Amino acid sequence: MSRGASASRSKLLARRKMIRSTAESQRATRLALRAGEAGALAGRAARENRGSEELSFQMQEGFREWYARYAPAGLPIKILLPAALAYHRGYAKACGAEDLWIPLPLQGTVTAIVTASNEEKTLPAVLAELRKLPLREIIIVLNGCEDGSFAAVDQDPRITRLSFPQRLGHDVGRAVGASVASGDILLFTDGDICVPAEELAAFILAVDRGEDLVLNDLTPYLPAFAGQDEVTRCKVFLNHALGRPDLRANSLTAVPHAMSRRAVQAVGTAALLVPPKAQAMVLARGLAASAPVSVDVIRSNRVRSGNSGAGNAVAQMIIGDHVEALGEVMKTEGVRLSFATLPRNELAKVRNAK
Amino acid sequence: MVKTRKLRSRPARKPLRRKSPLPRLVNHDDPIVSIIIPAMNERATLGRVLREAGKVHPRSETIVVANGSTDGTPELAEKCGARLIRVPEPLGHDVGRRVGAEAAAGQVLLFMDADMVVPAKELRPFVQAVLSGVDIALNGYSGPIRRREVHPVVLAKHVLNGLLLRADLKGASLTAVPHALSRKALEWIRPEALEVPPLALTKAILLDLKVQVVHTVEVGRLNPVRARQEERGKRVDPLTRLVAGDHLEAVEWLIKQQGARGGYSDLGRQRGRVR
Repeated sequence: MSRGASASRSKLLARRKMIRSTAESQRATRLALRAGEAGALAGRAARENRGSEELSFQMQEGFREWYARYAPAGLPIKILLPAALAYHRGYAKACGAEDLWIPLPLQGTVTAIVTASNEEKTLPAVLAELRKLPLREIIIVLNGCEDGSFAAVDQDPRITRLSFPQRLGHDVGRAVGASVASGDILLFTDGDICVPAEELAAFILAVDRGEDLVLNDLTPYLPAFAGQDEVTRCKVFLNHALGRPDLRANSLTAVPHAMSRRAVQAVGTAALLVPPKAQAMVLARGLAASAPVSVDVIRSNRVRSGNSGAGNAVAQMIIGDHVEALGEVMKTEGVRLSFATLPRNELAKVRNAK
Repeated sequence: MVKTRKLRSRPARKPLRRKSPLPRLVNHDDPIVSIIIPAMNERATLGRVLREAGKVHPRSETIVVANGSTDGTPELAEKCGARLIRVPEPLGHDVGRRVGAEAAAGQVLLFMDADMVVPAKELRPFVQAVLSGVDIALNGYSGPIRRREVHPVVLAKHVLNGLLLRADLKGASLTAVPHALSRKALEWIRPEALEVPPLALTKAILLDLKVQVVHTVEVGRLNPVRARQEERGKRVDPLTRLVAGDHLEAVEWLIKQQGARGGYSDLGRQRGRVR
């Protein structure tokens, strides 16, 4: 195809994409309007009840019913989420209650796991966002805290506090949390990054709809290859080696992410100690993995001594994690992983054919 | 348009463009430089490649490893005066290089491809570097990197060099020609290692041999496009996966030598806390 033809083709594709996205957003708006009205109606009926948790459960049920009746099955999360938020707004306004959860049409139960060490400043905000979600439990793994982190976690029947006086090391807290979690869906985030509840909801929904591993899509925040650090390149290479180049630099090393119970059982909670290893095992076992949501955690991540600058200690550790990950999957998939080919001499024959 | 056969006799042809005469190589009895060229059906370019090879160093030998050729490549090499190793079946570039290296007598081994004409002045820096103490003299060519996603092989090269704490090499690799080895390097890593070039480089770096980028030859433009295979709707060179897989073999060897984490710390993770 000539260059001109391919340029006009890409223009055409871009235009089609724009039209489709416009149609999608109109559809989302229409559905959200209806959801808002339905929420208000349900909220007025519920006004007599008391207690935000009880109301939340009621609203969740109401939304689930409305969703089952009026929303088409398999609705994209991008359309579903605004409807859920509109229903929530309508309901909360009508019944005058605050602190209601965002209703989500979930099949499974959800555990959120938050790790924190010395995060008293950000922890309350992180928990406030999590409490807006229909979670079964929130497990907070505090380790090596010398500040008021413990006190910053307020009493809530949904919250479980695990406290370790010493630092557990990177990613260990998440594995510890996962080993005591009871939900069907495990949502992981950090105590130092406050991610809005609506964004976290997308991770939960994706797992509920059948994904086993849902990663944060950091592709929009990546520089060109020449400007990428070694850690980023290792992440891309690992996905390539496991036959998933489409996952690019997306990695379990970054939060937030979510996993299905099935994925956790397949790899074992101990594998979560080394996130790239768990990811490699999930991919090697052919479980469903994707990165449908993009949360900017790069800009908001706290800079500490040891995690900034090229060749820093944390970067070196993550590079080692990728070596460990490759070694682990080589045991079951063979040394060449997804790059298996014909033997060299056969390949020479094929390539020499002109 | 209908073509009709002309009855009158054909006018005299234009005189054929005179082919430049074949080079005459002289292989020194006690060479300093051995030039190793694997070739499989490369008659079209081999003559010009050999001419440049002959101009690299006064005390040299040129070894052509003609493998799986049916187009007269070995005969051409012999006619030009190269030392010929004839192998009836195809070997691939990497095994061809090993075979050539095993036959080489020089202190410097320069590796080239038969399908790419690199001028002698672009080859001499590799030889010079080894003569002045470098063990592995690499081509600085990395492939295009001014984009967000690069070719998987370019990525693999950068990642492996990074893992070996040689990010300064960027995407330089023994997979790319031209490159040169010292005899010491060949003896330390063993010629067999050349069959998997990234593994050879890994061994050399871990053995503390002096590995350096010495010169950049833009081989990307010179490399001919080869037969491609259909894969997931894209036309890909099957060599891509071979070379990418070679890098995994190198990682596996690194793990065998340096442990499961390749020698990298895990910053005191309390692994015993999770079973």
